[in-house]
Amino acid sequence: MGDSNIIIELKNLTKRYGYGDAESYALKDFNLTIRRGEFIMIMGPSGCGKTTLLNIIGLLDRASSGEYFLNGEDVAGISARRQAKLRAKKIGFIFQNFNLIEDLPIIENVALPLVYTGYSKTARLKNASSIISRFNLQEREYYFPYQLSGGQQQRVAIARAIVGDPEIILADEPTGNLDSRSSHNVMEELKAIHSEGNTIIMVTHNPALTTYATRVINMLDGHIDTDIKTIADQNLPQPISVKIKNRKVKPEVVLGEIEPSKKRRRRKSHRRKK
Amino acid sequence: MALLFKTHFRLAKTSIKENRTRSFLTCLGIAIGVASIVLILSLTGSVSNLIKNEANEIGSDLIVVRPVSKKDSISNIIAEFTSSNTFEQSSLSLSDVTAISNIKDVSAVAPIVTSTNTVGSEKNTFSSVPVLGTSPDFIKIEPLALRFGTFFTNGNKEKGVVLGHMLSLSMFNTINSTVGKTVTIMGERFMVVGVLDEIEESINFDNVDFNNALIMDTESLDKLMGSTQVQQINIKAANTDSLAAISDEITAKLKENKSGDENFTVAYGDDISHPASSLFMIVSGILALVAAISLIVGGIGVMNIMLVSVAERTHEIGIRKAVGASSQNILMQFLFESLILSVLGGLFGIILGYVLAFLLSIITPFAPYINWQILVVTFVTTIIVGIIFGIYPAIKAASRDPIESLKHYR
Repeated sequence: MGDSNIIIELKNLTKRYGYGDAESYALKDFNLTIRRGEFIMIMGPSGCGKTTLLNIIGLLDRASSGEYFLNGEDVAGISARRQAKLRAKKIGFIFQNFNLIEDLPIIENVALPLVYTGYSKTARLKNASSIISRFNLQEREYYFPYQLSGGQQQRVAIARAIVGDPEIILADEPTGNLDSRSSHNVMEELKAIHSEGNTIIMVTHNPALTTYATRVINMLDGHIDTDIKTIADQNLPQPISVKIKNRKVKPEVVLGEIEPSKKRRRRKSHRRKK
Repeated sequence: MALLFKTHFRLAKTSIKENRTRSFLTCLGIAIGVASIVLILSLTGSVSNLIKNEANEIGSDLIVVRPVSKKDSISNIIAEFTSSNTFEQSSLSLSDVTAISNIKDVSAVAPIVTSTNTVGSEKNTFSSVPVLGTSPDFIKIEPLALRFGTFFTNGNKEKGVVLGHMLSLSMFNTINSTVGKTVTIMGERFMVVGVLDEIEESINFDNVDFNNALIMDTESLDKLMGSTQVQQINIKAANTDSLAAISDEITAKLKENKSGDENFTVAYGDDISHPASSLFMIVSGILALVAAISLIVGGIGVMNIMLVSVAERTHEIGIRKAVGASSQNILMQFLFESLILSVLGGLFGIILGYVLAFLLSIITPFAPYINWQILVVTFVTTIIVGIIFGIYPAIKAASRDPIESLKHYR
C-alpha cells in the first residue's frame, strides 16, 4: 500500500446472490485499482454488475468475499456504523432518479450529508448555500424538488454529493433520465468537479459520454472485459485543498475587541446630559 | 451528539407539522389516557386531602390506633365485601382501651366500635342502622357539634344514645323533639339524649357515616351484643410535644397486653390521613387500571401512525442512509418523533384531566388536587409510552436496507 495515490483497491471481490440452485454472481473475482483523480466510466449491458460494484464501493452493500481497501484501509469487514461514517465523509452519491427528499427544500436537501458529519444548522445552510450558488440555483434555494426541472434536480443532487467535500463521487447513470441538453450541463459540472481533483466513478449506457472520462471500463458478466486509460497516471488532476473547515460558524464580532469601559463611560455622560 | 439531538428534534417537528391532522388524532389518544390518569390521581389526592383537613381540624394532638389485619391482601378484601359479615376480626379489644387510658399525658380515649343493628322507635323499626360504640370522651376528640341535647356522659352512658341528623329525621320525622324519646335495640330500651348537627363531609378518618349513625357507649353495646370488636382507638394527648413518646408508650403497653404481638399500628400527624377505606382504594385502583388500558390503546395509536410514517418514508430513509446516516441516526429520528407525539399528548392530557377534575369539583366535594408528584408521574409515563411504542417502528426504520429503500417509491 505504499502508493498514496491509490484510493480504491478491490481484490478478488465476489458478490453472490441466492444459494444452491438459485446461486448467481453479480461480481466474480473482481480486481480493480483506482488512482486519485481518475474519472472512470463503467459501461456494459444490463445485469453485468455495474450497480452492484458501485454500491459496494459506496459502502451501501457488502461483498460476499474479497478485499476492499479505501485509502489503504481495509473496509470490507467494518461495522455498519463505521461504514455510515465513511459514507458521510468520503463518498458522494449521484443517482439516475436524483433521489431528493420531496418534503425538504433544495437547500436542506443539499445540506443533508452535513447533518451526519456534525455541522451546526447555520454552518450547514451556509455551506449548502455557497454550493448551490456555484450551480446557479441560488434563486431557487427554497424551492421544493418538484418545482424544478430534471436537469436542475440533478444539479441539486450533484451539489448534495459534493457539499461534504468527499474524495470519491459515485454516479449511477446520472444522465439516464435527462435530455441531451441537460445531460451536457450535468457532464460539464462533473468535469469541473473532476478537474478540482475529485475521483469520479460513473456508470453509464451512453458511449458518447466517454469523451469526458480518463478511463473507460467495459464490464461483462461480473468481470472486466476491457479497461482503457486515456490519460497517463501522472497527468491526473490532483486535489486542491479548498476544504470547508469551519465546522461551527464562529461569531463574526469578536467580543474582546469591544472596550467595555469606554462604552460605559459614554453612556453615563449621556445620562447626565439629560 | 447534542447537535444531532437538536436536528432530530427539528426533523420530528417538521414531520409532525406536515401531518397535522394525523398527529393531532394520535396525540388525542394519548391525551385521553393521560387525562383519565390525572383525573383519578387528582381524585385520590383530593380525598386524602379532605381526611387530612379533618385531622387538622381535630387538632395535632390526636393519636390513632388501628388494627393491622390480613385486610391488606386483595382476596381478603374481596372476601370481606362479598360476605354479609361486616364485623371484621380485629386485634384490638376493650381491655386495650383501658390500658391506654391509664397512660399519663393521655387526656381522652375513645374506641370506635361499629356494628349494624335493628333499631326500633315507638312507631316502626329500622334494620341495618350503623351503630357506633364509643366512650363519653368521644366528643372531646371529635369536632362533632350537637344540634339538640348533649352527648352522653359518664352519668347517663348506660341508657343514653345520640342520633345522627338523618337517622333522627327518618325515625321520628323531626330533629327538634327527638331528645327524650325512646329507641329499642335488641329488646333493650334507650333514651335519646342528643342529636348531631348535619355533617357535610361524608368521608372521615373514622370511616363512619355520622349522619345515619346511632352512637352509644361501648360497654352497653358490649353487653347487648355479647362481644365487640374495636375497629379503631382515638386518643387525645394532653400536649402536642410528647406525641412520639406517648405513641411509643402505647405501643409498649399494647404489646404487653397481647403477649408480644404487634398486630396494630399507632399513627399520629399526617399518617392518620391515609384513606381509611379499603373499598375506596380498590375502586380507585380499578379506575387507574382502566385509565392505564386507555393509555395503552393511545400508545398503540402512536405505534400505528409511526409504522405508517416509516412505510411512507422508506425512500427518504434510503436517501438518508446513502448520504451517511447510520442506523442509529435513523432510529433516533423516528424515536424522537414518537416521543414528541406522546409527550405532546401527555401535556394536552394533563390540561384536559385538570379541566375534567375542575368540572367534577362543581358537583362533588372533591376539589382538584395538583401536586408535582402527579405531574412528574404522568410526564414520565408518557415518555415511557413514547419509547415503548416508538421503539419497534424506529427499529424497523433503522433496519431498512438502503439499496432496497432507494428503489422504493411512494
